[in-house]
Amino acid sequence: MTVTVPAPTGTTPSGARRTPPPEPEDLELLLLIRHFELTLLRLFEAGELSGTTHTCLGQEYIPVALSRLLGDDDFVLSNHRGHGHFLARHAEPYGLLAEIMGREGALCAGVGGSQHVYHRHFLSTGVQGESLPVATGVALALKGTGALACAYIGDGTWGEGAVYEALNMAQLWRVPLLVVVEHNGIAQSTPTAAQMSGRVAARAAAFDVLHHRVTSLEVGEIRTELAPLVAMVRQDSRPLVVEFATHRAGPHSKGDDTRSPEEIALAAAHDWYDRYARLFPEPFARIDRERRELVERIAAEVTARPPSAWERP
Amino acid sequence: MTTLTLAKALNEGMRKAMEDDPKVLVMGEDVGKLGGVFRVTDGLQKDFGEQRVIDTPLAESGIIGTAIGLALRGYRPVCEIQFDGFVFPAADQIITQLAKMPLRSLGKLKLPVVVRIPCGGGIGAVEHHSESPEAYFTHTAGLRVVACSNPADGYTMIQQAIRCEDPVIFFEPKRRYWEKADVDTSAPADDWTPFDRARVVRPGADVTLLAYGPMVRTCLEAAAAAEEDGRSVEVVDLRSLNPLDIDLVAESVARTGRCAVVHEAPVFSGFGAEIAARLTERCFYNLEAPVLRVGGPSTPYPPSRLEDHYLPDLDRVLDAVDRLFAF
Repeated sequence: MTVTVPAPTGTTPSGARRTPPPEPEDLELLLLIRHFELTLLRLFEAGELSGTTHTCLGQEYIPVALSRLLGDDDFVLSNHRGHGHFLARHAEPYGLLAEIMGREGALCAGVGGSQHVYHRHFLSTGVQGESLPVATGVALALKGTGALACAYIGDGTWGEGAVYEALNMAQLWRVPLLVVVEHNGIAQSTPTAAQMSGRVAARAAAFDVLHHRVTSLEVGEIRTELAPLVAMVRQDSRPLVVEFATHRAGPHSKGDDTRSPEEIALAAAHDWYDRYARLFPEPFARIDRERRELVERIAAEVTARPPSAWERP
Repeated sequence: MTTLTLAKALNEGMRKAMEDDPKVLVMGEDVGKLGGVFRVTDGLQKDFGEQRVIDTPLAESGIIGTAIGLALRGYRPVCEIQFDGFVFPAADQIITQLAKMPLRSLGKLKLPVVVRIPCGGGIGAVEHHSESPEAYFTHTAGLRVVACSNPADGYTMIQQAIRCEDPVIFFEPKRRYWEKADVDTSAPADDWTPFDRARVVRPGADVTLLAYGPMVRTCLEAAAAAEEDGRSVEVVDLRSLNPLDIDLVAESVARTGRCAVVHEAPVFSGFGAEIAARLTERCFYNLEAPVLRVGGPSTPYPPSRLEDHYLPDLDRVLDAVDRLFAF
C-alpha cells in the first residue's frame, strides 16, 4: 500500500511564505513541553520513574495556542495526557516533574502523580469523559463572571456516556464551557474508524452545541481563528466544542504503539517540530538547544531532591 | 418541640441550611416543582428559586459531576438521587472523583457535596427502588457514609452533612419517611449529637443490637418484645457508618457480651461483616457468643409481593437474640 503524506493543511507546499514566524515565547513553550515529554520517556528507560506516563508528543501546539486565550480565572480540566496542558497553563516544570517523580516540591506532594494534578485552577483526571460533568459544574459556577471552564478530551472520550450527560446540561443551562477535542485519530490503539460512528460535529449539533474544527498547526493562526469564538463562550455564556485535527507522534504510553510504519510516518509528517525546524532554522535551533538543556537541568535537579513528604516512611 | 415526619424534618433541615448559607444548592431529578418523589425538597424551589433548587435531566453521573464542579468553586451542593438503584450510574463520579480528589490533594481540595439517597425496601416497590447500597460506599475511602433513622436525627444530621467539608453519602430510610416524632428545632448545634457518633437508643445489659437507618425501629421493637422474656437488650443506632464509632460500639458489646448486627442489605460482604470483624478484634475475650449478622440473602431484591420474606423483621431479630443466648 502506498501512503502519500499530505502537507499539513492550511499551508502552501513550501510552507514558508504563508507561515509567520512563531513568537519566541511560543517556541520556548512548545519546546519546553517537547523536551519535558522526551525526558520523561528517557527517565523511564533509565528506571528513574515508576508507573506509567502518556506523552503529548505532536500535540503540544494545542495547549500552547490556547494558553493566551485563557485568563487567570478560567478553570482547566485535563486528562491522562495532560503534561502539556499543565505546562502551557503554569510555568512550573520543576513542580510537575517533582509530582511525577514523587520528589520534594511536588505540586500535590507526589500523591496525584502524572494523571491527577490539582494546582490552582487546574485539575486532571485519567478516567475518560468523567471530567466533562465536573467541567460543566465549574462552568455553571463561573457563569456570568466572564470566566470559563476549559476541558481537554480526546476522540476516544466520545465513547463515554458522561460526555453526553454533560453536553446536554451545558447547553440546557447555557454555561461557559470550552471543550477542546484533541482528535488524533486513535484511542490508545484503536483507530477512530473502529470506535466512533458518525462525527464529533454531528454529536455536538445534536445538543445544539456550537462546534468548530481546527486543522492548522500554527499557534498564531489558531489563536486568531479561535479568539472570537472563545470570547463568545464568555460573553454569551454557551458551550463550544473545538475539535483539533491532530496527530499523536508518540505511542499511547510507552512501547505500545500498534500503528503501521506508514501510519507513524503520517503522524510524524504532521509534527510541528520538524516543520518549525525547517521553516525557522535560526531561532528554532537555538531555542531547541536552550530548552533541551533547561529540561536536562530540571531533571537532574529534581532527581537529586529527597522524596516528597508523602513518600517518606 | 415540633412534631414532624422524617421527610419534613429533612426538609426543614435543608431549609435551615439554605437560609444560613447562600452557597447551599439543592439539585436532582424532580426536586423542584414536584418537591422530589418523596416530597423531601417540597417547597424549596418556590422559596429559594430555580438557581438554588435545580431540576436536572435524568443523568446521575452528570448530577454528581456537576455538583463536584460547583463545589470546586465554593458551592455546597446537596444532590438527591431519586432512588437507591439510581446511584449506580453515578458510581464513577462518586468513587473516582468525589471520594478521591480530596485525598489525592492531601486535603488541599475540599468537596463539601452531600449525596442524599432514599434507601431500603418495605414500601412495596420494585428492586431498584428498594436497595441498600451502603457497603459499596463504606468500602470507598474518602467518603463519609451516614444513615438517619428518625426525624430528630434527620433534622440535625442533614445540616451537619451540609456543613461538613468532606463528601457525605446520606442514606434516608424511605419506609420511615412518614413516621412522626418530636423534633427540637431550637436546640443549638452544640447540643446535637456529633456527626460521627453512634448513640445508645435503648440501654440494656444482656445483648447489643447494632442497626442504622430503617432497622433501628425494628430493633427497638425486638428489644421491647425480648424484655417480656426477661432479656435486657441494648440498641445502638450507628448513625455514622464511616467513620464508625467503634469505641461506643465496643464499649457496649464488651459490657453485654453478645451482639447482632442488623441491616437490610445482603449479609455476604455486607457492612455487618466489617463490624463483626472489628468486634472480634476489640472484644474477643468479652464475647459470650459469635457476633451474628441479620440481613438480606444474596439475591437481587425481590418483587414486592416477596419482600416480607427478604427483609429482616421482628421474628428474625428475636431469633438472632435467641441464638446468641443459646451459644
